[in-house]
Amino acid sequence: MQERSDEQLMTAVQAGDQVALATLITRHHAPLLGYLYRLVGGDRQLSEDLVQETLLHVLQQRTYQAARPFKPWLYTIATNLARDYFKSAAVRKSWREGDEEEALLHLYDSEASPEERALAAEQGSEVRAALAQLREEYRVVVVLRFYQGFSLQEIAETLHIPLGTVKSRLSVGVHRLRNVLVPVQKGVD
Amino acid sequence: MLHPQSSWPFERPEQLADMLREQGATPEECADLLPALRRLSEWQAPQPDPADTRRLLARLAPALPALSPVRQAIREHRQHRIFWLLATARAQVSLFGLGFWLVSALVTLVGAGIVSSNVLVDAGVASSNVLLVQEVILRASGPLLAFLGTIVAFRGREARVLELELVCLPSPLQLAITRLVIVLGYDVGLSLALALVLWAGGTGDVLALTLSWLMPLLLVAGLALLLSLRLSVQAAASLAYVSWLVLGIVSPLQALLFAPELLVLPGCIGLVLLAIALLRLHTGMHRQLPYA
Repeated sequence: MQERSDEQLMTAVQAGDQVALATLITRHHAPLLGYLYRLVGGDRQLSEDLVQETLLHVLQQRTYQAARPFKPWLYTIATNLARDYFKSAAVRKSWREGDEEEALLHLYDSEASPEERALAAEQGSEVRAALAQLREEYRVVVVLRFYQGFSLQEIAETLHIPLGTVKSRLSVGVHRLRNVLVPVQKGVD
Repeated sequence: MLHPQSSWPFERPEQLADMLREQGATPEECADLLPALRRLSEWQAPQPDPADTRRLLARLAPALPALSPVRQAIREHRQHRIFWLLATARAQVSLFGLGFWLVSALVTLVGAGIVSSNVLVDAGVASSNVLLVQEVILRASGPLLAFLGTIVAFRGREARVLELELVCLPSPLQLAITRLVIVLGYDVGLSLALALVLWAGGTGDVLALTLSWLMPLLLVAGLALLLSLRLSVQAAASLAYVSWLVLGIVSPLQALLFAPELLVLPGCIGLVLLAIALLRLHTGMHRQLPYA
């Protein structure tokens, strides 16, 4: 039997189909969690809360139309919720003063031993810190493109920005990542 | 608790280079950027296990719509019906014009003034006949409001714009009901004001006098609306009012119509006629179309 598309499943969910909901959630739970996890800097609990909140919005919003691609719509909601979370003053303050900053300083500390650097690379801490350094607008496009595997068009639809803006943000984001990650790699090697 | 890690979405190394080229990178840039991009795979995200997904589903299930979107839309529309009717009524009120409100109030005021003052006694009416003459005045002035109301509320019928009304959100029947509610509501309000004036003026038998005014009003309104289905609005309203004057005031039937125990009879007949007229309006709407 042919697998139902996201759009068909969402239409069935709007009519109260529990099986369609289960299929849709099973299909998108892991990718969505991965996206939000990387967007919020690796906070598992927060990303799980945001996943739940995103899917609740999906169920409660009656604006979805079957002609609209589901995946960009889903990630638009997720991105907006993550942005709303980071807009709150308390969160911004904790990000400025919190663990991310400390981890970043520790990573580039000249006193770190080769063993510590190797362990950090194994755990992905360097990449995590490098992504955290990026401004939110660049981090979002980089995560959508290189972790979620979105096409340029899908990113444009998700963020409601022109295709040219997607390309320029990706270019800036990738070059900044390179500036941070490649010297570290050389150090590890 | 350890969670399995999500897989890196790129199975072949050249996929990353293809993506860079797609977004406009030159071969030199690709070579420069690829090592950094390959390192992104070092940071894996946790992947939910089936139990996590089941828990999430259990939390989301109560939010699943219990009704289809169409049924939900109908239900929401019903919930907002009162506000919608009020909004429709407000739009209709603006179409009546100041003249209608003022003339109706003036007719009521004049009737109340004549009934409550000593004009009748001064004019030589015997005191035993005062109540009867008061009732006659009110029976003539009350339906005059129904006459005015029908002509004003349904004057658009002559414009033959039913096709335009049919494409509007409120149906022609809803518009007709709304207009009737406005006109009759205003008239009932005036009748209450009249009752207050009569009571304050010390006139005896306020209830009988108020009913003498209000019941014929309902009768003429119902009759006029029913006749308007076959005649022009002006002709229907005039015929209804004149019929009432002849039947209820001049003819010998008035003694029967206004026996104290039958005082509310004209009003009841009027309400029945209004109901019949509204039902006929709905079923016979095709006759109102320009090509009919």
